[in-house]
Amino acid sequence: MNKLLTELSDEDLIKEYQDNNTPEAYNILVKRYKDPLMNFVYRFVGDRDVCTDVVQDTMIKFYLNKDSYRSFAKFSTWIYTIAGNLAKNELKRRRRRIIFSIDNSDDERSPQIEDKMFLAPDKAADGEMRNEIIQKALLKVKPVYREVVILRDIQDLSYEEISEITGLAIGTVKSRINRGRAQLQKLLKHIYRE
Amino acid sequence: MKKIYNDEENKFSELLKDLKDLPKIKAPDNFEYNLLTRIQNKNFGKTVKERPQFSWAKFLAPSAVVVTTIILFFIFFPSPQENNNQLLQQTKLQDNQSAVNNSSSAKNELKNQQSVPSNTKLQSNSSSLLGSNSQTTRPRALSPLYDSRSIKLDDYISGANKNQNNTNRGNIVNNGEEPSQYDGFIVSEKPDKKTLERYRAVVDSIKKAQLKADSLKKVQK
Repeated sequence: MNKLLTELSDEDLIKEYQDNNTPEAYNILVKRYKDPLMNFVYRFVGDRDVCTDVVQDTMIKFYLNKDSYRSFAKFSTWIYTIAGNLAKNELKRRRRRIIFSIDNSDDERSPQIEDKMFLAPDKAADGEMRNEIIQKALLKVKPVYREVVILRDIQDLSYEEISEITGLAIGTVKSRINRGRAQLQKLLKHIYRE
Repeated sequence: MKKIYNDEENKFSELLKDLKDLPKIKAPDNFEYNLLTRIQNKNFGKTVKERPQFSWAKFLAPSAVVVTTIILFFIFFPSPQENNNQLLQQTKLQDNQSAVNNSSSAKNELKNQQSVPSNTKLQSNSSSLLGSNSQTTRPRALSPLYDSRSIKLDDYISGANKNQNNTNRGNIVNNGEEPSQYDGFIVSEKPDKKTLERYRAVVDSIKKAQLKADSLKKVQK
C-alpha cells in the first residue's frame, strides 16, 4: 500500500488524504516538500530556526486545511503559496519588531546581516564566502522581488507556477524577476564586474 | 518579448549560475518527528513566539493617549468656579429686587418731601429714574421673589400690609408638592439722598449723551 502511495503524484496523494484521511499520504507529501520549502523559506527569511518554524507551520496549515485545496491547482503551487504567505508574515513581524524596538541592541536595529560585500575580490571568490555574500545580498533585495527571484532562479519553478503562487500576471512576474535580478546584481557588483 | 527576457537572462547569466549553485537547505532530522508530535498533541499554536520586550514606543503610545484625554478633559469641562451657582444668582436677583424696592420707596419719599409743583424736573427725573428702574425690573420675571409670596418687612411692621392677601403663602407652605421658591423677607433700606441724586445725575448725563448721539446721527444722515 505504502509503495503504491509513494508512486502517486502530489495531486493524487492530496486527493487520497482528502477523501480517506490517509495519514501516510500526508507523511509522503511532507517528506517530498519539507526540503524544497526549507530552501525557499530560508533564502527568503535568512534564519534557519525561523525557517524551520515557518515550514512546520506550513505543514500544520496543510494538515488543518486540507479541504481548502482544489484539484484544479497544482499541489506544489498551493503549498508554496502557504509557505510564502507565512514567510512574508514572519518578515513583517520581524520588521515591526525592529522598527518599534528602541532597544540598544544593534542586532535588531540593523538588518541581521553584516555587510561583507566590500571584501577583496580574491576573498569573495572563495565558494563558501561567495554563497554567504549572495545570501546576504538576496536578503537586501525588496521582498516582492526577492520572492519571485528565489522561486525562479533557486527553486527552478516556471513562470506559470510563480504566477499561480504569487497571484500575479505572468508579465508582472517576469518584470519583477528582472528587477530583482538587477537589484541583486547591483548589490553584488564587486563580484560581477560588467 | 521572449527575446528581451532571454537577453536579460544572458545579462545575468553569472548571477543565475551562482543562484542555482547555492547549497540546498535541508530540513532538520527531527522535523517530521516534531511535526507529528505537534499534530498528535494538537499543538497548532504559533511556533514563532514573540518575546515580550519593553519598548519606549509601546510605553509612549498609551501614555500619550492618557495625557491627551486629561488635557481634553480640562479644556472641555468647566471648572467648578464657572458652574452656575444658583445661590449666587439668587442673591444677584435679590439685589435687583431690593434696588427696585428702594427706588419705589425713594420715589414716595420724594413725593412727600417735595410737594412743590415747580419741582417737575425732579419728578421727571425721578420718573426717568423709574423708567430706568423699569429696565432693571426686567429680570424680575425670573425672580423667585413674588409679591404674593413675600412680605415687605417694613410694611409688615408698620401694619401697611393689612389688605395684602397672603393666603397664597400658607398654601405654598402647606402644599409641598411644588418646588419651593424663595419665600422670605426683603429688608428695604432707606436710600441715601446724596446717592440718589448722584444716580440721577448719572442717568441724566447718559440720556443727554444719547440725545446728542441721536442728533449727530441725524445730522450725518
